[in-house]
Amino acid sequence: MAEVTNQEKNQTKQSAFSVYLKRYWQLYVLLALPLIYLLVFKYVPMLYVQIAFKNYKIGKSVWSAAWAKNYGFQYFIKAFKDRDFINALFNTLTLNLKDLIFGFPAPIIFALILNELPFKGFKKVIQTVAYMPHFLSWVIIGSLSLQLFAQDSGMVNMFLKSIGLDAVPFIAESRHWVRTYIGWGIWQSFGWNSIVYLAAIAGISPDLYEAAAMDGAGRFAKMWHITLPSLKPTIVVLLIMNLGYIMGGGMERPMALYNKLVMDKAEVISTYVYTVGIKGSQFSLTTAIGLFQSVVGVILILSANWISRKLGERGIW
Amino acid sequence: MKKKVVSILLACSMIATMAACDKGGDDESAQNSSISESKAEEAKQAGADFENGKFKETKHIVVEIYDRGNDGGSDPENNMYTDYIKKGMLEDHNVDVTFKKVPRWTEVDEINNLLAAGTAPDVCVTYSYPTIQTYANMDAVIDLAPYVETYKNDLPNLWNWLGDTNINWDKDPKTGNLWCVEAKLAVSNRVLTFVRQDWLDKLGLQAPTTKAEFEAMLVAFKDNASTLLGADAAKMVPYSVSYDVGWRAATLIESFLDPNMSDKEYYVNGFDDRKLTQNGTKEGVRLLNKWYNMGLMWNDFAQYGSGDTTEDDMMKAGFVGAFTHNWDYPYRNGEDSINANLARNIGPEAKFVAIDPFEDKNGTHTKFVPGPIDRKVFFPKTNKEPLASMLYLDWISDPEHIQYLQIGDEGVTHVKTADGAIQTQAATGNAIMNSGMNIDYTITVNGLKLISEELTNKSRALNYPGIPAEEVIRAHTIANTDLRVGKNVNVGVISAEEGIGDTLSQKRDIAYDKAVVASTSDFDKVWDEEIKNYLNAGGQDIIDERTQKWEEFFGSSDMLP
Repeated sequence: MAEVTNQEKNQTKQSAFSVYLKRYWQLYVLLALPLIYLLVFKYVPMLYVQIAFKNYKIGKSVWSAAWAKNYGFQYFIKAFKDRDFINALFNTLTLNLKDLIFGFPAPIIFALILNELPFKGFKKVIQTVAYMPHFLSWVIIGSLSLQLFAQDSGMVNMFLKSIGLDAVPFIAESRHWVRTYIGWGIWQSFGWNSIVYLAAIAGISPDLYEAAAMDGAGRFAKMWHITLPSLKPTIVVLLIMNLGYIMGGGMERPMALYNKLVMDKAEVISTYVYTVGIKGSQFSLTTAIGLFQSVVGVILILSANWISRKLGERGIW
Repeated sequence: MKKKVVSILLACSMIATMAACDKGGDDESAQNSSISESKAEEAKQAGADFENGKFKETKHIVVEIYDRGNDGGSDPENNMYTDYIKKGMLEDHNVDVTFKKVPRWTEVDEINNLLAAGTAPDVCVTYSYPTIQTYANMDAVIDLAPYVETYKNDLPNLWNWLGDTNINWDKDPKTGNLWCVEAKLAVSNRVLTFVRQDWLDKLGLQAPTTKAEFEAMLVAFKDNASTLLGADAAKMVPYSVSYDVGWRAATLIESFLDPNMSDKEYYVNGFDDRKLTQNGTKEGVRLLNKWYNMGLMWNDFAQYGSGDTTEDDMMKAGFVGAFTHNWDYPYRNGEDSINANLARNIGPEAKFVAIDPFEDKNGTHTKFVPGPIDRKVFFPKTNKEPLASMLYLDWISDPEHIQYLQIGDEGVTHVKTADGAIQTQAATGNAIMNSGMNIDYTITVNGLKLISEELTNKSRALNYPGIPAEEVIRAHTIANTDLRVGKNVNVGVISAEEGIGDTLSQKRDIAYDKAVVASTSDFDKVWDEEIKNYLNAGGQDIIDERTQKWEEFFGSSDMLP
């Protein structure tokens, strides 16, 4: 082996690459698969981002389309003049922020609690039960939500009415709907998201706990001074990644849960893009919005990463 | 070999002409004449392989078919009727037909997705003209004008049945472009109100003939809920609508419109077929709002989307007192019809019957029905066989084929009565019609149309298995009382309507739904605010452009010539 290494050192970089290629070509072939995937599904589509700056016609090639007005920024201007878009932007930010504020700590707390459970069997059962909702699609959760929270036929409201209380418009009134929406989000994901934290906790050296116990630390002291600080790098990385999603978010969840009565709070960018872009066929406009969304997302991730490095934590780069 | 060479040459010339059109770019008006010439040329070339009504080489086309997802229905892409069509098309024109199903209740979304992805069927059907117009503006729809003209002699059935009126209904008065042909309504029945006859009988009430009587009836239903429903009293819904209030309370809303409204006013405010911006609609919704706050309506109506069966299930279970819907709604679907379910679940006396309770200001019961047009059939640019597709439309418009598809085989889907009328009966397996009279296959017709008109009239009432003829006749009669039939205001493209249809439909539903559930004191505020939202989102631009176009074509006249 040593001989080989020396040989390689003497060669220029390029030929070193060809030697590697020759020797480990099987590995490169393996690597090629995900690279091709990335290229085809992530990079090639980026060529079509130009639609945002052009008067795109679906029957013609993108390349021959004329540039949009205002130096190509016609559709960006149009979006920001549209009150519905501004509203959707605002809703996206508030819903995602609330998700982050209420949803982010939930798996951490859950992992800490789980870690304190003395009975292994019980812990396993709880863990599995908590994972389950992650495997339900939003469409199913949407109809669960209807069955539970509808005004007339929802189980919860039927119960409230039977004990003489008024029905609560959980999903029929905007502010209540937002709470229901956030609640379902937490319910669906806290178990699954706790896996990462549980794994990190499992990696903490038992010596630390033993030493702390010798020093007279109780349960909470151990949690506060050992478990949480050990989790900090994981928390920071996940927080950064979550910040990147503040402007984004899928469309299944709002779409499965919303209805006509709460659209003022429920229309988010993804559903707006679907209505206006796909259903209304305004592809240039919605590509412009998508591009804007991605750019802001990248800026958010970069700045969160920068801040965390400044605070002395490891970032994701 | 020769054929191959010819087809390659043809393909090359097609590409060349398309490239020529491509260069036209945005400067279309200047090149208008040459483009239509090239289109005519293209149309002629499509028939190079076509002789005596038949292609020499088999052509393949894909045809859209609505999928209604009926319980226990037949496969929409593959059943007795698709076999009939496939066999016929292959024998008559040497065209091989495949069907592609698209969910009926979300068809507009679905066809949009397919068009955007470039995977739409060759023959597309939709109820949404704006969708077609939008894609036409993006060069993604074939201009049918050269085809219907060049091949007029090869399309006798299409021209006989649809005629100039329906074929050229949407022909642009300036450019001459024709993006779709309009299917023809054989009957113009639209929406009616139905009530539970057995509930009226139990409470000793007469069928209401005015709004006041209708309201009193709803109150009586609610007050006597325990008599009518016993333990299920809490589940009673005296009057039911869905999230689509503009459709499902149409006759009520229309009774607040001026029956003598000018054509101009009706057209200018008429982009939304749910009449949101017509004068008078607000008062109709105010009445619904009153009923909602009196507890006469279903609280959860706005929660369930298009195609959801929850409301139908409530009707079938017998919880609903009255509702407004398509004129034959409780009679549709044979064994699974609402009335058949009621008879099974409650008893033979339980049934919905048609009534006409909403009087307008003249004391008549004016119903605003659209013109004799129905679905729109168009070919996306991805269609490589426009002529074969045209022949398909012709084939499907042949009176004999329409008759077979509508009534099927004797002894299987229908029997003949003593006087020769056709009585439909529920079929099983492959012979089940997923839509009444197979309307989904007869894409150029809506409504019973047999070869003999006399037979059609005799048979209409017998078309609903298990439903007494007099009840269908009653509904048919009411649906034809005081009609105001829509006219064709053809002023070309209204550019403000482009791409905005779905956004506005959503705004309209939100406006209707929020106004209905608002508290009585908030009603004006909510309505005005939601209307403002609708107008700001593009509704006002449409009204303005329609006004301007009307004046351009008809001057100061308020009525169509």
